[in-house]
Amino acid sequence: MTPPPTTSASVPVTLGRTKPGISAHGPELLPLDAGEQYRFGFSMNACIGCHSCEVACAEQNGLPDGTTWRRVGEIEGGTHPTTRRFHLSMSCNHCLEPACLEGCPTNAYEKLTNGIVVHHADDCIGCQYCTWNCPYSVPAFQPDRRIVTKCDMCRPRLDEGLVPACVGACPTHAITVEPFVPDDWRADHAAADAPELPSAELTLSTTRIELPADLPIETYAASDWNLRPEHPHWPLVWLTIVSQAAVGVSTTAVTDGHRAVAAALAALSLVGATLHLGRPVMAWKALRNLRRSWLSREVAALSLYAALAAAAAVSALFIVPAIVVGWCGIYASARLYIVPGRPAWNTPLTIVRFAATSAAIGAAVTDHRSIGAAAVAIALGATALNWLRLAAVDRQPWWGSVRLELRWFAPWTVLRFVLAGAAVVILLAGHPVPAALVVTMSELIGRWLFFVCVVPLNVPGAFWRHAAGSHR
Amino acid sequence: MTPVRRAFDRIDTLLGRSHGGSRYTYRTTDRQGPVSESRAADRWVRTTCGYCSVGCGILIGVRGDRAVAVQGDPDHPVNSGRLCPKGLSEHQTIHAEGRLTTPLIAGRPAMWDDALDHMVTRFRSVIEEHGPGSVAVVSTGQLVTEEFYALGKLVRVGMGLHHFDGNTTLCMSSAVSGYKLSFGADGPPGSYEDLELADVVVLWGANIADNHPLLAPRVLGGGRKVIVVDPRVTKTAMLADVHLAVKPRGDVALLNGILAVLHQEGLLRVDEARGHVDGIDELIASFAGWPPERVEAESGITAEAVRSVALAIGRAERCTIAWTMGVNHSAQGSMTVTLINTLALLTGNVGRPGAAPLSITGQCNAMGTRETGFTASMPGYRAFDDPAARTELAGLWGIDVDRLPAERGKAYPDILNAVMSKRIKALWIIGTNPIVSFPNRGTLEAALERLDLLVVQDGFANPTTALADVVLPAAVWGEKDGTYTNTERRVSRVRAAVPPPGDARSDFDIFLAVARHWGCADLFDGWTTPEDAFEEWRTVSAGRPCDYSGIDYDRIDAAGGVQWPCPEGTEVPLGGTPRLYTDLRFHHAGGRAKVYPVDSEPLREPVREEYPLLLNTGRTVEHWHTRTKTGRVAVLEALAPEAWVEINPADARALGVRSGDFVRVSSQRGSVDRIRARVTAIVRAGEVFIPFHWDEACANRLTLDQFDPISREPNYKQCAVRIERAQAR
Repeated sequence: MTPPPTTSASVPVTLGRTKPGISAHGPELLPLDAGEQYRFGFSMNACIGCHSCEVACAEQNGLPDGTTWRRVGEIEGGTHPTTRRFHLSMSCNHCLEPACLEGCPTNAYEKLTNGIVVHHADDCIGCQYCTWNCPYSVPAFQPDRRIVTKCDMCRPRLDEGLVPACVGACPTHAITVEPFVPDDWRADHAAADAPELPSAELTLSTTRIELPADLPIETYAASDWNLRPEHPHWPLVWLTIVSQAAVGVSTTAVTDGHRAVAAALAALSLVGATLHLGRPVMAWKALRNLRRSWLSREVAALSLYAALAAAAAVSALFIVPAIVVGWCGIYASARLYIVPGRPAWNTPLTIVRFAATSAAIGAAVTDHRSIGAAAVAIALGATALNWLRLAAVDRQPWWGSVRLELRWFAPWTVLRFVLAGAAVVILLAGHPVPAALVVTMSELIGRWLFFVCVVPLNVPGAFWRHAAGSHR
Repeated sequence: MTPVRRAFDRIDTLLGRSHGGSRYTYRTTDRQGPVSESRAADRWVRTTCGYCSVGCGILIGVRGDRAVAVQGDPDHPVNSGRLCPKGLSEHQTIHAEGRLTTPLIAGRPAMWDDALDHMVTRFRSVIEEHGPGSVAVVSTGQLVTEEFYALGKLVRVGMGLHHFDGNTTLCMSSAVSGYKLSFGADGPPGSYEDLELADVVVLWGANIADNHPLLAPRVLGGGRKVIVVDPRVTKTAMLADVHLAVKPRGDVALLNGILAVLHQEGLLRVDEARGHVDGIDELIASFAGWPPERVEAESGITAEAVRSVALAIGRAERCTIAWTMGVNHSAQGSMTVTLINTLALLTGNVGRPGAAPLSITGQCNAMGTRETGFTASMPGYRAFDDPAARTELAGLWGIDVDRLPAERGKAYPDILNAVMSKRIKALWIIGTNPIVSFPNRGTLEAALERLDLLVVQDGFANPTTALADVVLPAAVWGEKDGTYTNTERRVSRVRAAVPPPGDARSDFDIFLAVARHWGCADLFDGWTTPEDAFEEWRTVSAGRPCDYSGIDYDRIDAAGGVQWPCPEGTEVPLGGTPRLYTDLRFHHAGGRAKVYPVDSEPLREPVREEYPLLLNTGRTVEHWHTRTKTGRVAVLEALAPEAWVEINPADARALGVRSGDFVRVSSQRGSVDRIRARVTAIVRAGEVFIPFHWDEACANRLTLDQFDPISREPNYKQCAVRIERAQAR
């Protein structure tokens, strides 16, 4: 126990900064000149951490409990009495290169000429791919609607010449909405960066942030303590494992039975895909963005593969096209996880892992012993290499993944490795079917860990993020 | 939307055909512009916020018989249309879960007449057996002024009870006592505009960013120097130009140190002050006892820093010193307040624009009960022992002067002591939740169990109503009419937007009904609405320091809010009188003010081996008092879902505690068995902080039941505790 405080005296902290005062009238919306767009501005100097913006947002949009389009984070550093805790109020950053829009398989996002990145609910199928793509974790699944929703800068209010609700509610005018010239911002967007915030380079966030002069050199987000596993996305565990097993079996198939198994697995895998969606009957819309979205390509490739695998079960004529399209599907699958917003996935090792899963299960089923053993070793090796890569980065979304997998889920990680080893032994001993089952178990655990151990990039959070029922 | 349509909508959503967008449409209203259909209002009711004493103007948006939205009143002089997060969601409190909708006797629903008969009969039988001192009343700072005026008259004259106090004793009675000691009367002398007009603003033990958010914009910017005195690096401290991280209860030393430096530098305007201030020589003589070394040792602030701040104050053209609970929640609160007043008096910072010692009070209408209530003084700040005032008041009321009580009754903590010793046997609690808010909860719970009868009147079920023999369901903010008076003495209108649920009634109607059952309705002859009480109060306050005689409901509407004193028939601006004592005429004999030497007292409970950490308690912006209301507003609960204890990283390391861990905090009196640790350098090593809002992790199980001898305000801010890791659950 630390002894009681001594009579150590404190030094006054002189800051000397200017803050905007309150005016009799609320802020006004400036009209846009030609070529200008709107963006948010935020002054960390002026913010008093009152959270009025968050409440005003929830009121303006009638948001249900648990859905937050604006969040106030806390960035802390220093030692008493020169401790600093600054607040960072952020909603959607209406990026110049919005990752949500790029990846959306249904083209539900649109960048309006006035700068707003708007999300069209009618086009959203609830696949939640945008929630992985956004490095600020802005789009969020709204359970009662089973789609993703996010801030639209109060577009209806802007259309009426009114400022967004958060801007209007801020007692110290810390939040602003302001016109800017996109090309100028593209050239210099240093003001979009802040401590604990993902780099603006990723998506060219347009939010202009005024930082205080007395920001401590070392900071942390108040939410950092609460390293939590992510959602397991069971339908996606199913989809990826089963589709990869199918392609592996197709590729190494020797008998008609193997080809029938592949066809069955390919069909079964797609069930998982639709169950993942918030709006399953709208699944067809996922094919809308083949031009840009790896998710659209995955859906297309795996659907086509399922058809070809079924055909191949009837006629060997289709086996080569099935294998080619199947591997395209696995590649698309892997590519869609390679997003900057999820550092643990954002590596070519993800492609290696998915391919190794395919080869390991497929080879076990078809009794290709050396291929199976090598694939298992590659799958485990790629996982371990990824740990080394992530552990070397001194930021929570990187090392946090390793901590989750090796500490939080340590027994499962061990079990995965043990099962993999056992599968190799069983396979080499000449028991392909039990080996296939055990290696599948191992890979299922591995894939589940893949989903739950990812730590998304996010804006710095408040102390209660993800704790005590707080969704913020 | 019809139920059938809603059901189809749900099915559509599950299938994925619909995305539930019909529940999230927008409608444009004149006042709101495009807004969520769920918040679109058909009509607006102008009122005043029911949380803190800043007194922001609010418009309640109503659709049908539901309050669906709020907006800051753009025309209100206090907030110009802005609100804090509690205000922005205040309409949700009205229709929240947990409202009391019917009277209860022993937990069973009852008719009003039966409940009131039961209460009156039982009170009368206790009084017959044990005398009028055996029944006591504890009220609040959150009724409307008209209700406070009615309640005081009912309790002390009509029912003839001796002991009546309010929870205001838990928050600002030290400010009242301090003002009375210094100026001879209560009443914050300044205005919010003084915060803007000052060159130097000192916020002493006042975390306005969390607790009075709409004052923060007035302090920030504008080139004024902001000095914050607080042991924690609060949100407010971080906005300051200078933060003095004073040691807990180092205030007295720091104030003496500042005064001593000013005296030494010749910056005290002693000669000027002698014209209107008594006690200066004794004060100056006491400075010899405050050498810089002692000031530094007791306050934790270096001599250099003390000097620098003293010079800033002494050389300021206009300095406003505002304080709140950091000063008041102390066993030396009243005397600390006098030192702040002394500093203002002797630097010429009283009665001028931008220059005031300003107590930022707590509850929305703490001022209303201070002025009209019958607790620390008779209505209109009339002293119990002032014969002229007694005669005047009895004459105004048309009663025999002997019906007026001879002396102030017991203060809140003394009422509870009397309950403990069974001298008080029946208690009527109105609009407050002492189970969570009173210090040393264990003792309080034991006391309430000893009562023969506990009557609790509230809008919501809470831990105190759970113990009541009789529960009287009251209307809440948004369902009642009247006025609130804020920190700057501004009287603003409060209006009903919707009717109360079920059988709940306004506190005003309940008091009149009790009067009828008691047989003292003659005191309220002709009263039907709160305005009748207000009109009588105007005549009763006439000529008093808190003169409302020139204020009527129409004038309040015209001005947005009117600051007393506002005598009828005088040349007072429409908005009232912005500041007191502009003529340096005070209320002590001869129109003078007084200053006092104040010596520091050691902490009653310093840290020791068994309890090595000093606990500080306070508030957070998302919640109000015991969360009776804010705990029922989902958006506020999500922002601050649990209590926490702030622990300095050095202490946390020694304890093996990390942020997010559950710990057990114990004092000699009790323990909070499970509370989340927040490891942060916001607090100094050796000190910890817990917000007091939570019943579930109640800081007042730990706090010390020590009280200021003058104001009887509790010393909530310093007691010794121990922290251990909590058992995993």
